[in-house]
Amino acid sequence: MTTLRAFTCDDLFKFNNIQAVLNFLLQYGIPFYLQYLAHWPEYFIVAEAPGGELMGYIMGKAEGSVAREEWHGHVTALSVAPEFRRLGLAAKLMEMLEEISERKGGFFVDLFVRVSNQVAVNMYKQLGYSVYRTVIEYYSASNGEPDEDAYDMRKALSSDTEKKSIVPIPHPVRPEDIE
Amino acid sequence: MAARGHVQDPNDRRLRPIYDYLDNGNNKMAIQQADKLLKKHKDLHCAKVLKAIGLQRTGKQDEAFSLAQEVATLEPTDDNSLQALTILYREMHHPELVTKLYEAAVKKVPLSEEYHSHLFMAYARVGEYKKMQQAGMALYKIVPKNPYYFWSVMSLVMQAISAQDEKLAQTMFLPLAERMVEKMVKEEKIEAEAEVQLYFMILERLGKCVEALDVVRGPLGEKLTSELRSRENKCMMMYQRLQLWPECNALSYKLLLKNPDDWQFYLSYFDSLFHLMDKSWSQPEEGEHCVEGPVQTTVTEAVKFVVDRMEEQDKKESRPLRGPYLACLELIHRLRQRGCPDEKELGDPLELMVQFFGKFGDKPCCITDLKIYLHLLPPEQRSQFKKRLGELVPLGEAGEDGFGFPGDTKALQRHLCVCQLSRALGLQHALDTEGKLRLITELKAHYHHGLQFGKSCLKTELQFSDMYCLMAAHVYVDLWTETGDENMLWQCLGVLEEGLSFSPSNAQFKLLLLLLFCRLGAFQPVVDLYSSLDAKHVQHDTIGYLLTRYAGSLGQFAAASQSCNFSLRFFHSNQKDTSEYIIQAYKYGAFEKIPEFIAFRTRLNQSLHFAQVRTERMLLDLYTEADVTLSLEESVKAMGVCPEEDDIPWDNMRDNRDLTVLVSWDPKDRELTEEHRRLSLEEESVWLKVRSLTLRLLASLALLGHAPSPRNSDKTNENGISAKSSTLQTLLSQLDQTLETAAQITEKQTQYPFLGPPSSRLASALSSGSCHCQASLQVSSRGITSGSFLFPHADLCPSLPSSLSPLRPEMLSRCKGEVLEMKDGRLTTRPSLLETLVFFVETVCVVLWVASYSASVLRPLKSSLQKKKKKKKDSSSAMPVVLCGFQEWTGSLQGVVTQALDHVKGQEASLTALKLAALTLEEGYSQTQEECGFTRAAMDKVQSSYLGSLQELGDLLRKRADSLKSLKI
Repeated sequence: MTTLRAFTCDDLFKFNNIQAVLNFLLQYGIPFYLQYLAHWPEYFIVAEAPGGELMGYIMGKAEGSVAREEWHGHVTALSVAPEFRRLGLAAKLMEMLEEISERKGGFFVDLFVRVSNQVAVNMYKQLGYSVYRTVIEYYSASNGEPDEDAYDMRKALSSDTEKKSIVPIPHPVRPEDIE
Repeated sequence: MAARGHVQDPNDRRLRPIYDYLDNGNNKMAIQQADKLLKKHKDLHCAKVLKAIGLQRTGKQDEAFSLAQEVATLEPTDDNSLQALTILYREMHHPELVTKLYEAAVKKVPLSEEYHSHLFMAYARVGEYKKMQQAGMALYKIVPKNPYYFWSVMSLVMQAISAQDEKLAQTMFLPLAERMVEKMVKEEKIEAEAEVQLYFMILERLGKCVEALDVVRGPLGEKLTSELRSRENKCMMMYQRLQLWPECNALSYKLLLKNPDDWQFYLSYFDSLFHLMDKSWSQPEEGEHCVEGPVQTTVTEAVKFVVDRMEEQDKKESRPLRGPYLACLELIHRLRQRGCPDEKELGDPLELMVQFFGKFGDKPCCITDLKIYLHLLPPEQRSQFKKRLGELVPLGEAGEDGFGFPGDTKALQRHLCVCQLSRALGLQHALDTEGKLRLITELKAHYHHGLQFGKSCLKTELQFSDMYCLMAAHVYVDLWTETGDENMLWQCLGVLEEGLSFSPSNAQFKLLLLLLFCRLGAFQPVVDLYSSLDAKHVQHDTIGYLLTRYAGSLGQFAAASQSCNFSLRFFHSNQKDTSEYIIQAYKYGAFEKIPEFIAFRTRLNQSLHFAQVRTERMLLDLYTEADVTLSLEESVKAMGVCPEEDDIPWDNMRDNRDLTVLVSWDPKDRELTEEHRRLSLEEESVWLKVRSLTLRLLASLALLGHAPSPRNSDKTNENGISAKSSTLQTLLSQLDQTLETAAQITEKQTQYPFLGPPSSRLASALSSGSCHCQASLQVSSRGITSGSFLFPHADLCPSLPSSLSPLRPEMLSRCKGEVLEMKDGRLTTRPSLLETLVFFVETVCVVLWVASYSASVLRPLKSSLQKKKKKKKDSSSAMPVVLCGFQEWTGSLQGVVTQALDHVKGQEASLTALKLAALTLEEGYSQTQEECGFTRAAMDKVQSSYLGSLQELGDLLRKRADSLKSLKI
């Protein structure tokens, strides 16, 4: 029971109707959202409940070199409001992002997730993602928490017939070494 | 020349260190380095610009600007200078100068693709659509690349969108844009998806829906691949506009088969179905089938469709989707609206909702889903419904207190949902006081019991049982508003504070606490609560009102300034932020987003809250910070207020406030209605008008003060004054009118739902008498001006001194009384006294400005009079009347201000003497000892906040009393 549609600027005004953390959807500054809207509008999808409440959204982009078979879809943000969790919404949004990336001929979809965020890591694993590599101190310290490593998780798309893109790299890399 | 690209330009090497310093924020070193370089290479213009950037960033705007202009007048064509100047002008908020720069550059280097493209972007940044159109074509002529051509087309669309005259848009700009695209289509030059999207946009805006459909369905439409369902969405849009209900119906049907959870298509499916029924549409005999497939035209078909979808879900092994079940309720709702008896075929709404609860009751969204359809239950079924749901909630054995508790979080969620539904059904509201108190006890018991499930929760996570706590608070509020028993409010604060201690990131606890403290007139605790909400950008607009409505009105001026600043900072950055992304949208061909970004910017610029904080911030400055003894003129100039100009978009005001940010499970008849929203906006607008007129009137005083000196000929004198005093006159009559409207509005005494918008300050402003006092004061200031300048020798109106004393003692007497009182073991508050006192103090501040202005007018008058006196020895002059009057007036003002100060001192003393610890809170019945502790903490916060407000008010009064003393003439 969800309306899935393109994200528009007006949605920014509706981001409050949330039980828990007031700005769970507004993690980024306006320029960041506008940048994605200007460049990859098709990758920015919002889910709306029948009463008009925003349930969650996904935001992503396409990047990488086609020649080197690194052209891929990237999940920049995936967020579901607490009251709309456990409905399979995240999976649905991920499925849509994967389909868009398929159509663009991407070789894989990737995302970064905090190593400590076991719930998310497991969810992505269930959706067919695997850890490709660990990125050291990808998340910089905030609120007294130390720097944290990220998993770079990937799922191969149909263009990557041999699933070359997801063969794990055994050694962790530093943020400056990733493209 | 060919090799030039490989050899590094020596200037680049020389400039590099300056760039690095600027990048690292080391502006001083950048300036020094630039100076060094300029000594050796006088003509290295870029170094000058980089120096200017350094100056600009260290606050030396004027110096930076003139340095930049030195280079700009040379019309540079080197990339470094141009780019540096672009950066500088943008930082200086002069994007229009960038266009001049590149206009000069392309004249000198007419074949440069790069400079032409920079010129286009420079125009885009300032929205010069016509010039963009030309620049785009000029580019295309130099380099025939499609994007350039379509930039030009898009600029035509933007001219259409921004045209004041819709006819011009429809007959000139859009048709021209259409022809430009058609030309490319005919020549088979269409390459990109963006180009097709733009074509569609043009046709759609022209209302050529049939043509638009042809494009989407035709070969060009095949390019629409990026966005999912792009073609389907566009077709659907056109079907709806063309009222092609068969196609609309068939397409919705098709899409629902694919995804039976997508709500928007249920709506379009039902809409189209009923349209078809109303038109008794029937399937054409043969041949002409609907392009989208089978069409459904009867209720029977629709019922079967929905029932099939539900059965599909029932059979599924995996998690069922909510869509089909809710679609069933939606269909019943619609059939009932039409008085169609077939709804029975879908089943009894009660049974269906019970089934829905059975399937989804353990999801937090169950309440949000079912709430929409509760009206399908007749009132007599409500209790039965609750009972039936209760049977589906597994609870443990009831204990001594008679309550049984859930054994896990799923059961808890189900139980909570039943509570939420019973509130939404009005069952909680129907309880008497005893019943409500018992309900609170039950909710609290469930809350405390549920805490065990969340022991391992992180601080950033919520407790599973938080919503019980919130609901208990809501019932307390019900009791308080119904009975007026303030103890309920104190206990409510206690329970919320307790909730927050277990769940420190619960935004709803914070929001309700914030609202309650504001209603109590205690602003101090609100500052921390709001900042812990960590509101971000747009939220300063959507929920900023919670803060700014109360800060100033409760006398917390420092906090008020700060909260206005938070919001203002956001609004000001909006302009710059959006322009950059409009440009990016051109680059990436996201044409659909360009009008959207512009609408977004406009929505923020026309925000009610923006206008409010802008006005309040300036009033606060004049009231609290500005030095009365210095010139009003300077303060007004610094703020950029122009009394003749009204910069508030009254006719297009956007109310971006989120008035439902506080969660409510209240029944429909107690919820916020559209009418409430309208009334609240009306009230806020009128109040804003009063405030902005007050501000502009004060500013016009400054203008009057700036009148030509009396030494000029009498004639020019008269003209000068009459022009300026007519502004004053216009503003005054506007204020009069506004106050009349205000009186009508307050007569209505609109009551909003408790969790909805707060009332504006209008009613209390009127009852405090401050508005009328300020208005009549301005009238007197006009009297002074005209009297002194136009008739310097005539006998002044004898009533002037009395009209100059509008700050009547009764205004102060309205503030008398104890704001916080302990009586018979109960604590009572009277926050309205505080608000009235603030109005009094604000009025004193306005009076002071008028007095200061009057003094500045009377001073030269007095000295010239004294000179004349010496010459003529004419004792019959009437002038001293006004002078004496003024002195008398300031004297009486002094008296009133002293009285006010005594009053504030007295309040402070009695507040400090109040020992809240001596208060015995009734334990046992509904509050545990722990809860009493939280209640006490809340009481202390209120007490200390009152003290804080009084101290700030006292300080300001003392400051004004001092300035009054210096106003001798």
